[in-house]
Amino acid sequence: MSRREITRLRARFSGKSRVIVLAILALTIVSSYVIYHQDLVISKGLYIVGVSADAPVIADSRFNITEHDRETGYELLERGAIDLYLDGEEIVMSHTERSEYAAGALQKYLEKQELLRVADAYEIDRAFPLRIEISYLDGGDEDLIAEPSAPAPDIAGIPDSTAPTDETHKSLSSAEPPVAMSPEPVSPPEDKLAVASPIALPEPMPLSPAATDDAVRKQLTDFAESRQLPEFKAEFISENDIIIPSLMTPPIPLAQVIITFLYVVPVFFISLFFTSSFTEEKVSRKLIVLLSAPVTRLQVILGKMLPYLAYSIIVIIGVTMVLKGNILLGLAIFIPVMLFIFSIYLIVALTYRTFKDQTFFSVLALSVVTVYLVGPAMFTGVNDLSYISPLTLAVTMYRGESFTVPQYFLATTPLLLVFGQTMFVGTRVFNEEYLMGFRPLHKKIAEAMYLTLDRAHVNLSILFMGMCLVPLVFMVELASIVFVTNLPMPFMLGFMLIVSVVVEELAKSAGVVILLQNNALQRKRDVFKLAALSALGFMLAEKLLLLMAMSVVSDSMFVQALTGGGLLLLPLALHVVSTSVVCLFTAHFGTRFYLLAIILGSMIHAIYNLYVMGTLL
Amino acid sequence: MSGFLALLKRELRSITKEKTIMFAIIVQFFIASFSSIILVGIMAFYDPSSIGDSTHVRIRAGIVATGENVEPLLNYLDESNVRLHVYPDMTTAEDAFKRRRIDTIMVVPESRNGVVDMQLIMPELDTKKTVIFMVLDEPLKRYENYLRESQGVDLNYNSVGGKPNTTYEFLYSLIVPILMLFPALIAGSIVIDTVSEEFENKTFDTLAAAPVSLGQVVASKMAAAVITAAIQVIMWVGLLRLNNIVIENAGLVILLGVVIAAAISVVTAIMALYFKDRERTQFVYSIVLVALIGGSYFLNPSPFGLITRLAAGDPSMGMFQVALYAVPLAIVGLLFLKVSRRLVLSRR
Repeated sequence: MSRREITRLRARFSGKSRVIVLAILALTIVSSYVIYHQDLVISKGLYIVGVSADAPVIADSRFNITEHDRETGYELLERGAIDLYLDGEEIVMSHTERSEYAAGALQKYLEKQELLRVADAYEIDRAFPLRIEISYLDGGDEDLIAEPSAPAPDIAGIPDSTAPTDETHKSLSSAEPPVAMSPEPVSPPEDKLAVASPIALPEPMPLSPAATDDAVRKQLTDFAESRQLPEFKAEFISENDIIIPSLMTPPIPLAQVIITFLYVVPVFFISLFFTSSFTEEKVSRKLIVLLSAPVTRLQVILGKMLPYLAYSIIVIIGVTMVLKGNILLGLAIFIPVMLFIFSIYLIVALTYRTFKDQTFFSVLALSVVTVYLVGPAMFTGVNDLSYISPLTLAVTMYRGESFTVPQYFLATTPLLLVFGQTMFVGTRVFNEEYLMGFRPLHKKIAEAMYLTLDRAHVNLSILFMGMCLVPLVFMVELASIVFVTNLPMPFMLGFMLIVSVVVEELAKSAGVVILLQNNALQRKRDVFKLAALSALGFMLAEKLLLLMAMSVVSDSMFVQALTGGGLLLLPLALHVVSTSVVCLFTAHFGTRFYLLAIILGSMIHAIYNLYVMGTLL
Repeated sequence: MSGFLALLKRELRSITKEKTIMFAIIVQFFIASFSSIILVGIMAFYDPSSIGDSTHVRIRAGIVATGENVEPLLNYLDESNVRLHVYPDMTTAEDAFKRRRIDTIMVVPESRNGVVDMQLIMPELDTKKTVIFMVLDEPLKRYENYLRESQGVDLNYNSVGGKPNTTYEFLYSLIVPILMLFPALIAGSIVIDTVSEEFENKTFDTLAAAPVSLGQVVASKMAAAVITAAIQVIMWVGLLRLNNIVIENAGLVILLGVVIAAAISVVTAIMALYFKDRERTQFVYSIVLVALIGGSYFLNPSPFGLITRLAAGDPSMGMFQVALYAVPLAIVGLLFLKVSRRLVLSRR
């Protein structure tokens, strides 16, 4: 199967088209090489500056320099033909905004030249008399899980009194960037598991002068080289870094995002080829022909996937080598991510028939997956729950710290489970009727679920379906949390309550209702039994997920919520009641009234939730 | 001509009927509603020090000073949104820090020969220390200058005035061009999809029998894609205006966006007709795009730069420069007229 896929890919790019592709590829590489060796300036010629003959030299391509004598210069400035006039050492602005921005830019440039002059003219102690050493002190318990009802609270960590408006607060929480600053070696690894335990404060000891002088010299060289691109470092400011305020060029924040781009985007790109090839063979009916060959469906799917998986693994190894990471660890972290991405694309390829649909849903899938991966990783080192994203592992690795085995499994198991589930569903729906059918999305999903259920073992199937839908529900809820942070606080809570309740009710009842729709259930007693099983499965998986999270996050509200006051039996009763209400209602009135049934079940569920929240508060 | 219009209508209808495209536009709007948050986030990539500019957060700093010469530092801190608490020794400061009364501790020792080795104690939380550091950046720089001056070192150009330019440069040289050119890239993709669809469904043969020329069929697909791009560009100019970002020379900017979209559409149409399948065409298209974007960097003004300078109101840019970009469009247009028929009819 795999060999066939590779041959196909090769055949695609053979003969004349290969020459063309290679030629373009070569051209691209050459031009990017040339650009890389010039300095990449984005705002080339943005400002028009007139200079007098005795003005300092400005060597910065953002400024479009023309020389004018004083009189013409002032006149041009008046007319708005130039943005600034540099009269000797004096910067003259006009009163337009553009001119003020130009002045701001020019000032920054000239300041930098001044620093270099001063560094040259005076000894180091006089030129850079302020050095700052960074050290950490833990500020007591800061447990984000302690506030489960407020999804985006003190993310920026600035207490309420200091955040004047909601707006600032919001913009702050998005401006949360870890990463590096000066080119100092990464700080020695600390016991990062002890997030909650206070670290003893290092006594302020006098730094040895030579040490800080060295730091100044090193930063000065970097400063003079004036790299356009700040360097990659997994932490914003590391402990024991020495900072010289005027030489500090902050690095790009958000190592998490950079890691994502470097690893995940190439994998996405490769999996796009997989989908594209899959869909093509689907449309041209070649896949159907393959079904009659002596191979299993799983072999067909895996075989088609394998070459692309191999390319992705090569990319992962390459990126890890470039970033100087541990290759085995890199593979261990990113192979589950890769499998996850491929399974998402397999779903897209199985569901859609036209390329247009596919392109757009691929983009959508990309953004959702990115949020899922990047979001939690923002809290690396802050909260252990951030380990639900494998990127957190990667960030930890690049900081030279270590993570534990349970953390690794918390991050990767859900992804592997999704892959397994997709493979299972994929093989179940892999038949001509499903692949070639044109149907709206919800019908496609219903059909896939129906095909997945094993009619010989309905009870077991429904139980497992209830369990398998939990990760999906979890992801939908996570995504909706991201969305609702746009709304004001009271709406946010209400919206979250409604979304989570409706999604859960949908997930629990879907299997049973699909059986009803296909007239596979006759007796009310069976409907009730299956509804109860589905609810049980759902709850089991939900609690299992919490248990897994608990093994990583030891002292959180979760434990209390799980063990406090009979909270195991009560929710089971609730899930069974609400699900059977939905299913029996639908069985009685017909699937046309499914929506109404969901509303009814959701109301019961919501009332219960409000009651529990009331007792907890 | 009427045949062409009918075809165009059909293509446009199929684009609007496509639920996914509508969905994509809604998603675009949704992202636009986030824009203020996203902007600060992306800005941080472009210039990390801008985080300090865009926040008006007050932080609380504890000071333990044993040295002389701290007065100016206290003043600078006070002037830039830092609430100060002075502590006599480390123990009390540390205690206040742990009780979360202050966000950071600054230890200022006596200077050794004029050099001050300050110690900055921060919480370990990444997000928090970033914000703290960005707020402290400005007063620390001023204090550094003060220390320099007291040693007889003078820096010129310290207070020219003018506004912080980062946001301005970032908006006009990255965000605006990206928003104006992105629709053009999408247009290319749409053309590839619709043209190769005809090949894959073998409908070109049917269309060949219809009373329209094959050139018209493909041209209508390109026109539909370009119109979609034009609508998006106009929409973005409006949306940016609502966000108080004014696009100067809006007419010319939109025109340039449309001209580029048209050129890309023609090129992709030729590629789709040549390769006749989507997979290869999309692949080659993405490489060609990278090459084009890279190559355009050597043009002066590059498409990116021209949009930047037009939108920012550069007086030296105008109709002439935009018209220059119509030249490549005309060339590829002619090429298309010459080769399209032969490409459609050539066998795979």
